[in-house]
Amino acid sequence: MIFAVATVVALACGLCYWLHLRSLEASLVREWPADLAHDSRMMRFAVSLARPVYARHCASCHGANLHGDHATGAPDLADSVWLYGDGGIGDIENTILYGVRSGHPKAHNVTDMPAEGRLHQLSAPEVDDVVEFVLALSRQPHAGTAAERGRKLFYEKGNCFDCHASDAMGNTDYGAPPLLGPKWNYGGDRLTLRNTIYSGRHGRCPAWISVLRPPQIRALAVYLYAESRAP
Amino acid sequence: MTPEQSSGDFFDLAKPHVRRSMVLLALGAVIGLAIAGYGLFTAKGTRSHSVPPEDLALVNNRPILRSDFMTQVQTEFATPFAESLPEQRAKVLQEMVAEELQVQRGLEIDLPSFDPDVRSALVAGVQLEVAADVMAQQPTDQELRTYYEAHKGRYVGEGVLRMRDLVAKSGAAATAEEAMANAQQAVTALRAGLPVEQAVRHYRLEDSGALMVAGHVDTDEVFEFAAKAKLAGEIYAAAATLRSGQVSEPIRQSDGVHVVVMLEHRLPVQEDYATAADRVWTDYKDEAQARVRQANISYLRSRADILLSPEARELSPHARELQERVR
Repeated sequence: MIFAVATVVALACGLCYWLHLRSLEASLVREWPADLAHDSRMMRFAVSLARPVYARHCASCHGANLHGDHATGAPDLADSVWLYGDGGIGDIENTILYGVRSGHPKAHNVTDMPAEGRLHQLSAPEVDDVVEFVLALSRQPHAGTAAERGRKLFYEKGNCFDCHASDAMGNTDYGAPPLLGPKWNYGGDRLTLRNTIYSGRHGRCPAWISVLRPPQIRALAVYLYAESRAP
Repeated sequence: MTPEQSSGDFFDLAKPHVRRSMVLLALGAVIGLAIAGYGLFTAKGTRSHSVPPEDLALVNNRPILRSDFMTQVQTEFATPFAESLPEQRAKVLQEMVAEELQVQRGLEIDLPSFDPDVRSALVAGVQLEVAADVMAQQPTDQELRTYYEAHKGRYVGEGVLRMRDLVAKSGAAATAEEAMANAQQAVTALRAGLPVEQAVRHYRLEDSGALMVAGHVDTDEVFEFAAKAKLAGEIYAAAATLRSGQVSEPIRQSDGVHVVVMLEHRLPVQEDYATAADRVWTDYKDEAQARVRQANISYLRSRADILLSPEARELSPHARELQERVR
């Protein structure tokens, strides 16, 4: 008799806990992102929900510590630099839902980094000049005269400013990163920059809309938002 | 009812009661039928009565995602969602509901089956989706070089010609043999250095007209592919072998005997990888996309039920194989 009562109580508790979780998940996806950012209880719940999801689905590219991978160009998710949107929960969620160049019609896919050298937009020496200019922008050792020539190319023949902006701060509508360093997707050394400008870049992120549940996606967005603002 | 079961036992759940079982069974059946009937005979059919938390609305059970709604508000009013006004949000929601309703109506009236624009958009959308992976992948330099080596023939600069296609006419004025003799003399004279215009006058030759532009004798440069398209097969074959300053043998045609005078011939030149790199890249990507699209069509065909009429079967040598595969 005692065993039967204990079983019923345990089942009831389990059911209550499950309902509680479902209710929290529902609140998580129902709340507007701007309000969510001020709801510490919900933020904590989201982070606890997101951690195992991140470890299973995202860490292989972005790294267990969220710092990205220069080899694949997977960006650092723990800093405040965002390729798309302003780093708000809604923008992050949108990127996770539909991905970047994922093949989903709603994915971020306005443009990509063109192969300036390979497509003869710039000659090989001109690519080297632009590299020097980018090194100068990011306050790294550079060749002064070549950097001056690179500046001209950046604003004229290369059309680099079109996406990366006149102040080289980038454009989150196009997914064009800032060029001021010290954060780089693929690396900011001379050789890597040369490869980037010569051969172009076409980073991708899968669309998770059909893989993860909506609360998991929202929780991931909240987690990344929180981590990118952590002191 | 068994003798030991009285009507008082009907509500005593501790004791089995046949009549109670039958009543509950009947009640369950009636409730089930009522629910099914409601679902079947009401216009809305089956529907959800609550909106899933991740959705902002359900339009005939099709969700409008909160995330899509937020993105749409931001895009339409160029303002962060948090700063958008309730009126702006309401407007966007109305538009999204209207769009969903119209899309559903379009499917209801089977718009894709007869509207060419919708069909084109669908085809383009499917092709884009299928090829998205290929479009995003960036071939390495080594892959491009390998492709270039395998398709070197494509990267040959176009040859350029400047030539005259002259004809000694046969017909009322001269027999075929006379025209041939005349052409033969003209060839000999031209090879001996007689200027073309003098030969034209002296041997009463005419321009064939094949290379004429707006009625004038065309002595401008012509790409080889253009000359190939404009000239008769035998004449182009003769022209292609001539170097600058050479004159062809007489070529008998239906309108007379032709003589080709090659004023200038710049032969096609093989482009190196660096010169052709951009076209190699484009061709590589185009080919990869075409392969993926073809594979998609093959897959769709393999699972489709395609019946061909006897006439249609005759049109395609692959139809029988296709029928077998479908079967």
